[in-house]
Amino acid sequence: MIKVAEYKEPQHNLSSEKFLSSSKLYLPLSQHTGGPSIPCVKKGDGVSEGEVIAKASGAISAQLHAPRKGKVIDIANWYHPTLKRAPAIILQCQDERKEYFPLKDKDIELLSKEKILETIATHGLVGMGGAAFPTHVKLDPPGKIDTLIINGCECEPYLTCDYRLMVENMNETFRGIRLICKLINPKEVIFAIEENKPAAIKKVNLLINTKKFDLPPMRSFVLNTAYPQGEEKQLIRVITKKKVPPKRLPLDIGCLVHNVATCFAIYEAVYLNKPLVERLVSFCGDALKSPKNIWVKIGTTLRELIDKKILEFKKEPKKIICGGPMMGTALDSLAYPILKSAGGFLFLADRVDDLKEEPCLRCSRCVDTCPMNLLPLEYVKRVRKEDYTSLSEFNIVDCTECGCCTYGCPAKIPIVHYIKIGKKYGFNNN
Amino acid sequence: MALIITNPPHLKSKVNTPFLMKQVIIALLPAVVASIYFFGIRAVMLIANCTLSAIITERIVLLLGKRPSTISDYSAAVTGLLLALTLPPSLPWYAATLGSIVAIGVGKHIFGGLGANIFNPALIGRAFLMAAYPKMLTTFIKPGSVDAISSATPLALRKFSQVITPASTLFFGKVSGSLGETSAICLIIGGLYLLIRKVAGWRIPLSLLLTTTITSAIFSLLNPNWGSVWFHLFGGGLLLGAFFMATDPVTTPTTKRGRYIFGIGCGVLIMIIRYFSGLPEGTMYSILFMNALTPLINRYTKPRRFGT
Repeated sequence: MIKVAEYKEPQHNLSSEKFLSSSKLYLPLSQHTGGPSIPCVKKGDGVSEGEVIAKASGAISAQLHAPRKGKVIDIANWYHPTLKRAPAIILQCQDERKEYFPLKDKDIELLSKEKILETIATHGLVGMGGAAFPTHVKLDPPGKIDTLIINGCECEPYLTCDYRLMVENMNETFRGIRLICKLINPKEVIFAIEENKPAAIKKVNLLINTKKFDLPPMRSFVLNTAYPQGEEKQLIRVITKKKVPPKRLPLDIGCLVHNVATCFAIYEAVYLNKPLVERLVSFCGDALKSPKNIWVKIGTTLRELIDKKILEFKKEPKKIICGGPMMGTALDSLAYPILKSAGGFLFLADRVDDLKEEPCLRCSRCVDTCPMNLLPLEYVKRVRKEDYTSLSEFNIVDCTECGCCTYGCPAKIPIVHYIKIGKKYGFNNN
Repeated sequence: MALIITNPPHLKSKVNTPFLMKQVIIALLPAVVASIYFFGIRAVMLIANCTLSAIITERIVLLLGKRPSTISDYSAAVTGLLLALTLPPSLPWYAATLGSIVAIGVGKHIFGGLGANIFNPALIGRAFLMAAYPKMLTTFIKPGSVDAISSATPLALRKFSQVITPASTLFFGKVSGSLGETSAICLIIGGLYLLIRKVAGWRIPLSLLLTTTITSAIFSLLNPNWGSVWFHLFGGGLLLGAFFMATDPVTTPTTKRGRYIFGIGCGVLIMIIRYFSGLPEGTMYSILFMNALTPLINRYTKPRRFGT
């Protein structure tokens, strides 16, 4: 693991803002791991806020809802951060807001496990830390979960949306955790936060100590700031000292990890009967006048945020990134919409990385920093020779593309780029 | 709006190859200053000669091969400087120049240039000179002498005359030998600088020095004439080798376990040569030998798969 420049300072202490009045929404059918949702509306249909517009297509899939009242103007290919272009439902919105009223804690107590799980499934919840795995699948594990880890690490530089959520909505997040505990009944709950988030740590400890949530034994775990500590397997290793074996899942060693934003979404789904239609997103980078954390409707395009002056440029951005700077995807347009799993967008003007590649010195900085014990330099060597068959010998499938190797490479070799090529051409299920 | 599209990560550290090379040069400065203090103008000439010849050779080879220049990364300068520090101060200029040419031309570029060579280029240069001019390479002068009074190195004194130089003399310098190996303290300062700035890894120097320490401790207990621990640590090219040659990234293992093996291997070989061979010192040959084993070490020390 590595220490990276954090760039979190300017946005750390800014309260979150709201922009929930997007006029046009682009809702890709693939916003989660698994099969794309199947539209259940057609062009010209009117929809109300929170109405299901696309249904889950199988066991591992998620529902999609209309984030605002409006009219379906098209179902067509549109910009998608990772798939480039993908089918999306395009919604022309009308100015009308739905109010959500929370249920009482004692009403929640009356809900059965099945009812809670069903609510989470029908409300389109997915993991909001980036992987976007359907939440209801993760909350219905085949085995026993001993340790529930709540992930508040947010180890990617720049991003502070999880931090702001923890500071501003910790009570609701705890209610979400309470619901998870009700479903999986873990022996212990560990709230993991990195030490660079003191205000959140204080809140967590305060709420743990009040004991008002009737949770299993719970403690906070303050980690030294390091990257990629928020990655599931690394977080489990640091906290429990156990390692998830290759091709296995955390639940195979009795662990389950949920992002704080997902916990909050679970609260909203169950208490407010509100589907996943908006989220808190960090917008940062040196091209922006000021960084912001904004609650936005899923499907809002970057262009709308710029046109409506919700975000303002100080300089022309040279690079726009969906996600954090370590694992995010570079975008070629402002037409991309905000997805359920998008925690942040970066607009970089001067802080654009060096592209000049020099010969590998075999200095093994990539080896020393790889959190998965891999030999990244071997992938580069082999992919350059187009020798894809030997890549599996070096366990290329284990690579999570966290980017530590490339971050520290003194020769500025885009190692992750080579690994992506290697995986594409040399993939076999070793 | 023209946007750059690359694969992640979009954030990179500021450490680059030229920076690392400059750090090595900075770390060698104490030893350079000490060599000038002890050997005066001879040291200045030898260092300038080797460094410049190395840079010029690099430039010519790259020009002939029509390859982009790597001059900016200072690596040729590091090779030249390191070569100079392994040579006797009395070496004639033409031998030093030739050594530099061989170091860069044969040691580095025959294998494909920066990052592709198997052996430490500076040591290839020195090994070549050792074969071509054995007499010149083993004739040393007394430090601080105006006239070139020849004098044996501490390791040669031990081996051939059973005279043990006190460790304190070795520590501060003022013993005859190659330019860079006279003062242990200067090499330690430079070596620690490399480790603290994370320019060089600690696994190889640590395992190498520990191996020599343990070996010499055992042997000195058996018979003090074998030389004490401090004598072996501070004498000869051991520290220069451990901190600056055995840590050369290009020619040493890339796996963590491999680096321990490399260091231990160098340490064992150095002590075997010092104790049982016809040569008084073995740092150069030990490192070159282990360089040759590096691909093999890498192959058999693949890291354990995460979670197994």
